Amino acid sequence: MPVDTKRVRGPEESQSPLLFLPSIAKKSVAAERGRQDGRRRGQADVRPVFARCGLVSQAKGSAYIEAGNTKLICSVFGPREAERKDEAGASSGRLLCDLRFAPFSCPNRGAWIPSSEDKDTAQGLLEALRPGVRLHRYPRAQIEVNVLVLENDGSALAHAITCASMALADAGIEMYDVVLGCSLRLDGNSFLLDPTLQEETAGEPGAQGSVTVALLPSLNQVSGLQADGDMREDTLAEAVRACMEGCHKLYPVIQRALLRAVHKRASPSES
Amino acid sequence: YNFTYPFSSSISTANGSALVKIGNTTVICGIKGELTCPPSDAPNKGYIVPNVDLPPLCSSRFRPGPPSEQAQVASQFIADVIDSSNVIQKEDLCIEKGKLSWVLYCDIICLDYDGNLLDTCVVALLAALKNARLPEVTINKETDLAEVNTDKLHHLNVSKHPVSSSFSIFDNTIVIVDPTVEEETLSTAMMTVVTDEDDRLCMLHKPGGSALSGEKLQDCISRAVTRHREVSKLIEKVMDSFEPDK
Amino acid sequence: MSPRKLCVPGEKLCSTEDCIPGTGTYLRHGYIFAALAGYVFRKNEGEELPVISVVKETEAQLLPDVGAIVTCKVTSINPRFAKVHILYVGSTPLKDRFRGTIRKEDVRATEKDKVEIYKSFRPGDIVLAKVISLGDVQSNYLLTTAENELGVVVAHSEAGVQMIPISWCEMQCPRTHGKEFRKVARVQPEFLQA
Repeated sequence: MPVDTKRVRGPEESQSPLLFLPSIAKKSVAAERGRQDGRRRGQADVRPVFARCGLVSQAKGSAYIEAGNTKLICSVFGPREAERKDEAGASSGRLLCDLRFAPFSCPNRGAWIPSSEDKDTAQGLLEALRPGVRLHRYPRAQIEVNVLVLENDGSALAHAITCASMALADAGIEMYDVVLGCSLRLDGNSFLLDPTLQEETAGEPGAQGSVTVALLPSLNQVSGLQADGDMREDTLAEAVRACMEGCHKLYPVIQRALLRAVHKRASPSES
Repeated sequence: YNFTYPFSSSISTANGSALVKIGNTTVICGIKGELTCPPSDAPNKGYIVPNVDLPPLCSSRFRPGPPSEQAQVASQFIADVIDSSNVIQKEDLCIEKGKLSWVLYCDIICLDYDGNLLDTCVVALLAALKNARLPEVTINKETDLAEVNTDKLHHLNVSKHPVSSSFSIFDNTIVIVDPTVEEETLSTAMMTVVTDEDDRLCMLHKPGGSALSGEKLQDCISRAVTRHREVSKLIEKVMDSFEPDK
Repeated sequence: MSPRKLCVPGEKLCSTEDCIPGTGTYLRHGYIFAALAGYVFRKNEGEELPVISVVKETEAQLLPDVGAIVTCKVTSINPRFAKVHILYVGSTPLKDRFRGTIRKEDVRATEKDKVEIYKSFRPGDIVLAKVISLGDVQSNYLLTTAENELGVVVAHSEAGVQMIPISWCEMQCPRTHGKEFRKVARVQPEFLQA
């Protein structure tokens, strides 16, 4: 392993205290019906969301979102001069996404060096956002989206999508629509909408899968879909429908947060 | 003085955490404890590993990638503050001499960079250390393995309360406390003084810049001492208000 | 006055039969949608239908566009072109730095072959120019000063004093009375405020 000379280093090895828990303590997850936080299975039951815009003073636009214990912050910079010039960049703008999990965001401490999970999630985020942004309005420029997961309690990608699109709207980037994300965990025969981390990782093997949907709510178009695991065609269609329903539940909250951010600033002069 | 707003936040995946806002500058500190072998040259001590990160999120001046020079300087600064002020007795982090000790990873991430990073980091670190709680760990005599009891949590023994005060100096004449990023870039020199509650100097950091007369230096130090009282009073108050519901 | 209507991106504002889409909006399936989060304005401009636009309180950041008049600062020169930083588009300051190039043949409209960059610009000059192209893969924005109104507006002499234009191709230093060559702009009153 390469030595990271640019940071203060700790001991060579260390173990999470969670490893030393007596094994009995590992509770069997989620009794047959119901979920630990009282939501019901198979229903469009999303966690309550707290959303705010415009927290980062240095950024063009920013947003913070909190759903259950999942907490994310996102800031948007740009449009600014594109750093890398390639064929595609000349006629339309480029969208750059960077997503990081803070080292303390997961039960086991993450490393500072971005893992493949960070990059995968960033890629998923980029693909979900791109159809929503009017990039052809920003030729030769790039728009940077930076997301930091402060605490990951499941559905990080889905909320990152929502948070990033709020930040883009706050930055005054022209968009076709806000992009909302919602994810779902298939556990046996039932759906767990907006799963927590525990629900994402646990569960009996077999018949497992997860779906993340990004939706443009007012156009009712799906801009991103990520599904893995083992599921039948009709199950997937049903899962996507459930996610879309979850997105529509989220929409009024996001709308209100955006309008409040617009309202907070001085209203423009009549021109 | 700009006002300081420290407030604890609850990142449940961390052992301790704090979000601190001074002016516009916002910093979050998360502490995670892990178990490791104590260093061989000091078998009765644990580790504290602080790292400051300036992600591109907090300001357009930072690029993604490995930590910038400024982030490295800040990390080293925080590490030096911890060492020189004895904020935590490293002996307290030892569980069994020569066998097992805690390593506290203090990850400090800047969320909004508007100057005065070091002061904010120190307050965040202190607040996070104060609300950090570690599970009880015992070593099973028979199996020689560690056993963790998450039901019994205990606080860290924070013995000292260092507070840092940064000054922007303009040509040895004007001194600004708690500078914003604009003031920092315009100033000719920066200085950071860290004091503890016994009014002792823990650290003095003046990276280059224009020269400073002895009187001005004394003036800054005495101002840092007064500022320490205000800031620590504020931290105390906020920590108290959070205590009852825990 | 009634509270102004607010909208978020993607909100359906009205049909194309009622309004003409303005800034901050886009058309789809015969309806006008909002592209920004901001205030909705309807304005009659003498046409049959009012123009509907969405305005965000903080002036949406402009990008240099073909035909736009930009204010820039010369950063470096060589015999073939001058490199500049674009500071303003119209009268709106840019937050981030954009680079542009003024080629030798774009300095003035007449006697293009006799142009010498050294006699037209010096690093540090403030220049009014017009965007002629967004550039291709390797190059930056291409700018031109081939109009009477375009060219150097502020320049400093070797003595470090701001110079006064005396003709379309010369400027004079008030301290040393030395003359230096520049491609001087005849500044239009409407740009003086920018």
